[in-house]
Amino acid sequence: MSGPAACVIDDVVSWRHDLVGCLWTSAATVLGFHGAPVLGTLGAAWGFRHLPEDLRREEYYYPCPAGVSLFEAIAPYHPVSSRWHEPADGAEGWAQVRDVVLSGVPVIVAADNFYLPYRPAYQDVHTNHLVVVYGFDEAASTVRVLDAVPPRFNSDITITELTAARSSGNPELHERDMFFTNRPIANRWLEVTIDTAAFPPFSLETVRTTIRRNVDGFAASAPAEGYAGAAGQSDYLNDVARRFADGADICDELFLVAGAVTANTALHADWLALAGRRLEIPRLAEAGRGVERFAHHWTAVRIMAALTRTGEVSAVRLQRRFAALLDDQARVLAQLDDLLTDL
Amino acid sequence: MTTILTQHLSAPGALPVDLRTYFNNRGITGGEELSKGEFNIWFNSFPAEELPEPGKTVEVGAVPFLFPALSADGKDNLRCSGQRITLPPGHYDWLYLLAAAERRSEDVVHLHYADGSVDPEWLRVSDFWAETPAHFGEQASVRCTCLHYPRHVQQNMGPVIWRTRVPVPRETQLAAVHLPDNPAIHLFAISLLNTVTGQAS
Repeated sequence: MSGPAACVIDDVVSWRHDLVGCLWTSAATVLGFHGAPVLGTLGAAWGFRHLPEDLRREEYYYPCPAGVSLFEAIAPYHPVSSRWHEPADGAEGWAQVRDVVLSGVPVIVAADNFYLPYRPAYQDVHTNHLVVVYGFDEAASTVRVLDAVPPRFNSDITITELTAARSSGNPELHERDMFFTNRPIANRWLEVTIDTAAFPPFSLETVRTTIRRNVDGFAASAPAEGYAGAAGQSDYLNDVARRFADGADICDELFLVAGAVTANTALHADWLALAGRRLEIPRLAEAGRGVERFAHHWTAVRIMAALTRTGEVSAVRLQRRFAALLDDQARVLAQLDDLLTDL
Repeated sequence: MTTILTQHLSAPGALPVDLRTYFNNRGITGGEELSKGEFNIWFNSFPAEELPEPGKTVEVGAVPFLFPALSADGKDNLRCSGQRITLPPGHYDWLYLLAAAERRSEDVVHLHYADGSVDPEWLRVSDFWAETPAHFGEQASVRCTCLHYPRHVQQNMGPVIWRTRVPVPRETQLAAVHLPDNPAIHLFAISLLNTVTGQAS
């Protein structure tokens, strides 16, 4: 590392959606920086996958099959990928991020909100969060951070504060250290590769192909590992309901799964609505509304999952919700399949 | 400070409903009782200091509501878990609700009419979280400037209670509403409106 330096990268823009978390807000900012369409990229693929062995206590959890990076998992129809870096310590962690920012590229870093002074969780709750770093001033010992999750923050904190957040052991210390604790932050940062020039156009053919891939994905038979597709989703929900009825603690697991599915589903609903507007095909928007309804089922599931631990939600209530969810999804998949015959 | 957004809606036939017996959640706290909040799964709550006086009638977007006072067991809103709310029998066009959701949500309510008819209708509520716009076209709201956490007050987090509505299509007497089993949705108040006759009767 050379002497004190300073820089702020231009064109780093905040992006927010009410049914997604820090993975998606950070990914959207980086996609936008590279000139890639945010919703067109993050909302294209829609599916269900759960890999029990892959479940990670992170706000930015998303299931990644073996050999598939986080960005490949969230945007599988586009030429994007990512690679986690795990520096040896805080000093190396800052040096690596500093160098990337100095080269003109914003960086997504993991951080514990407990040490981020602008977060409501500051000095209160530990969690495993993502923020975008896109500038610094070493003379002032500050770093420029964008965090689109409310309360939105787009300003400077000290390098010491960021380093503490990135080096945190992220412990579970009290009853509100839920879901995303007990996984050290480990100074991780995400290297993202985006080949914007190779992105498919947002055309009728792309829309048709995308919907076909999604519908076929839901119809596919069970994979060798984990749960996938409509049948896999049904199997998983039956399994988690049975385990809960048998007395197992499924709270954290189902909360994490529900967060990932909600985000993916909500973004695809918006993607269909976007396609309907762009291509002037109202039935696409109508199908999108059906998918949105499905996302709202998962909103309920997420809260019900959290309330399983307090005894407020019983196995019967959970099973009833799952049954309604699966019925509505079958309807919307049939709607999409039918729509394909007219596109 | 609370901002109560308004719109021009003539509602002479509004009948606020007392929901106290149905309350099962504490969503509003004063600054001296932060740890009693349990609105969402993170134990956040709305700041009482910025909200209308409990037990009084407040107009939100020209619709009068009975703003919740604490029930006997210290609750001030209901988290939807399939409750059946008995209503004063009458001809109504709309159920207006003060509601908030832990992430945006929608679900089916069943309207029960006095003649035994039952219709499903949609209840839609946007996210109560700060910096989140109305998703379902809600035009009025009770908006705060801070959010209560169990150990502190967060000054730059403004939660929202939305005014939303459910249509009552049948022109016969409504008798009850059966709420969904959806704990993401919270109700603070209901008012019944007859916008045709101007009489909630």
